[in-house]
Amino acid sequence: MAATERPTRRSMGDRLYDAIFSNRVWRSIFRSGYPNTPRNQMLAVATNVFLHLHPTRIHRTHVKITHTFCLGGLSFFLFLGLTISGVLLMFYYVPSVERAYEDILRLDTDVRFGQLMRNMHRWMAHGMVLTVLMHMMRVFYTGAYKPPREFNWVVGVVLLVLTLLLSFTGYLLPWDQLALWAITVGTNMVGSAPLLGEPNRFVLVGGFQVGQNALIRFYTLHVIGLPLMAAVFMTVHFWRIRRDGGLAKPL
Amino acid sequence: MTTANPAEAQSAAVRGRARRQREEELLVWPDLVFIEFISAVVFTVLLVGLAVTVDAILLDRANPAVTPNPSKAPWYFLNLQELLLHMHPALAGVVVPTIALIALGAIPYWDTDNEGQGEWLSGPRDWLNVGVGAAVASIGTLMLILFDDGMHAKIYESLTGSKFPISWLVNMREFQKNFPLWPTCTPETLKDGSCALGPLEWAKSIPLGKVLRTDLLGLPALDLNVNIPAVLVEQIIPVTMMVGLPILLSLVAYKRGIAQTKREHMILQFSGFIAVYVTLTIVGTYFRGQGLALGPYTIFAHQ
Repeated sequence: MAATERPTRRSMGDRLYDAIFSNRVWRSIFRSGYPNTPRNQMLAVATNVFLHLHPTRIHRTHVKITHTFCLGGLSFFLFLGLTISGVLLMFYYVPSVERAYEDILRLDTDVRFGQLMRNMHRWMAHGMVLTVLMHMMRVFYTGAYKPPREFNWVVGVVLLVLTLLLSFTGYLLPWDQLALWAITVGTNMVGSAPLLGEPNRFVLVGGFQVGQNALIRFYTLHVIGLPLMAAVFMTVHFWRIRRDGGLAKPL
Repeated sequence: MTTANPAEAQSAAVRGRARRQREEELLVWPDLVFIEFISAVVFTVLLVGLAVTVDAILLDRANPAVTPNPSKAPWYFLNLQELLLHMHPALAGVVVPTIALIALGAIPYWDTDNEGQGEWLSGPRDWLNVGVGAAVASIGTLMLILFDDGMHAKIYESLTGSKFPISWLVNMREFQKNFPLWPTCTPETLKDGSCALGPLEWAKSIPLGKVLRTDLLGLPALDLNVNIPAVLVEQIIPVTMMVGLPILLSLVAYKRGIAQTKREHMILQFSGFIAVYVTLTIVGTYFRGQGLALGPYTIFAHQ
């Protein structure tokens, strides 16, 4: 058995503690004991796949809310929330010109918590665009893009673009007047590019005007293509933060 | 007091620094994980509250036959849609955003100095540069938008009751129509004295197809006529503004001693960029009504 900080006097609470945190099931899952000692606290972070994105120790100033305003973390949090609410929305939504709008109406009126889920998804999407933009501003104003973090800033710019594209592709899905014409205006902007504009617009929309082809393309990009790309770039983004020693520190 | 062996003193200092660094550190569990957990809870509660109280908008079923007036892109692209009103669509919709993104990505490769990282605007003039950049850029953008809307001509007309005298200075479209003025003299008008300044029909005045004979190479014949006033108004003037005004800002800031280091110029320009982005978004969202005319507007006017 691994060395633990076993209390010397065994009271009722101690025995209960051991029963819960030193049994084979707990150990098989978490490997270290309950994180109530510095050693176990560090092990809790280092041996957990989700928490090990963090280092085990962090500079005192970096946990100050006003240093980061949690903006990067919030963006990731919103991405996770969007994934969960998005999967739930996918249960009820069929990306067809005939059904899409009716599915949204049904979601709002017939499905229990359907309207709530859709509202959550919409507000989190707006929120994520905002938090990503503000995160970029925070990183710039704290000079956190400076060496050795140059390339991670570039990855961040890619993630900003992916966030905008994710939001843009989702905008069409309700298939209402707002959706159709916003995407028409948006894709016409793409079409105005010199030389490659019109071919690109054609590929994006799948035709000369926004219709069934555009809907299925936007849907596929929205629910699988772009989230996967975002996940890949986020992995790189987080990995590099960790490799570069966490947040930037004053010299 | 006498000092000990310098090497020993130095190693003691290094040890001291290492110890101080350790003392400056906290454990991620619980100090950071706790904050992350609490902020996740707080934001979940806030978002549920928002989602319970405010419904996501849903208009009528999509109908390609009915174009709403105004038709707007999603809000984060309304800055580009606003730009579209003032310049060539290729410039506003593609070239400017592409260059802006490349410039954003290039920031760390331009400012390679290690100083001033890990702290909010640590330099002595950093906040000043944020303020100057944001103020000049947002006010300047608003003034350009108002100029292109002919606000000065409208004010003049409401004050004097007569038409604005310089037709080509009303806004850029009028400029395109009426400028440059050119003597429309012919031998006859010269003789009877009616020779006067008038707008020259520059449009399609340079038939490139007749110069570049692509048809001789077996390619389609170029039917390309350069509309010089349009090129001037939609491309040359906007590009000059978008490149020249930031350079002018940096030059003035440099001369006045506001921005001296590279990092300070970058803060100035970045703050200006953000301010332009925000100003264009706000104008495009809340101040573009029917026909995208300047005026208060809300999305709920749709319903």
